[in-house]
Amino acid sequence: MKSSPELRPNRYDALVVLVVLSLAALLAVKPFLAARAPQSDTLTVVVSADGRELDRAALADFGARTYESNGHRLTAVSADGSLAVAESDCPGQDCVHSGAISRAGQSIVCLPARIVIELVGAAPGYDLVTG
Amino acid sequence: MKFSTKTLTTCAVLAALALALSYMESFFPLALVIPLPGVKLGLANIVTVYALYALGAPSALAVLVVRCLLGSLFAGNASALIFSLLGGLCAMLAMIALHALPRLSVYGVSVGGAAAHNAGQVAAAMLTLGSAAPLVYLPFLLVVSVFTGALTGFVASLLFRAMRYAQGG
Repeated sequence: MKSSPELRPNRYDALVVLVVLSLAALLAVKPFLAARAPQSDTLTVVVSADGRELDRAALADFGARTYESNGHRLTAVSADGSLAVAESDCPGQDCVHSGAISRAGQSIVCLPARIVIELVGAAPGYDLVTG
Repeated sequence: MKFSTKTLTTCAVLAALALALSYMESFFPLALVIPLPGVKLGLANIVTVYALYALGAPSALAVLVVRCLLGSLFAGNASALIFSLLGGLCAMLAMIALHALPRLSVYGVSVGGAAAHNAGQVAAAMLTLGSAAPLVYLPFLLVVSVFTGALTGFVASLLFRAMRYAQGG
């Protein structure tokens, strides 16, 4: 043995846990505030692969669309103001398991296909245009 | 850096053990219980923690790099390499720093390593996707890493106890 470790957890370990949890809390603040912000009625779906934008459409008339990237194929489906990946041929199925998104700022990521599906709010001011 | 024959063989056995553990882990998909990309038990981290204390940082690093290279080779997935390497190296650096601190037990070192591993993997995801989107998962992953880190820390502490007993210490 080069060095002999302490084998019982003590308060210094609790400090490590505390640091990790406060980091998590700090990182969660921004998405939490974004989720609480007033939602605009029209959400736009932005689909990108490898950082390049593939597709952009209003959530309301998104329907079901299939994308192919990096040798994988996934199908995203919108229903009742939310969007989910219904089907994917990637091995992990994380994108399918991550469920539906319905608020601006939320996203679904498929790592094997390198696809990011994001919901963005409508351009500000759009709601003010009235006849 | 020069390895003695004993260190070299110990490293080889540990690398094989780490590979076997990460393969075994795929039979217990934690992601089914906690549906987050990148969630896993991190059993191979037990080996890294052990190597760090028993053989020192250079050997532990060698075991880690061999495990990552062979692991992605066996999985036949080159893009998995950047994830395991970046995650593994972040965990390694964090654990080297933490284990140098006095009084911190194997639990604290393990939790710190697990958290850093997740941070590294999210960084790898951001790099390959060219998007900040994966960052949303990090807070949840960090919370989960406290539990998985404590679990691997517990197993590592059992391992150290057994080794002390075996060496008559």
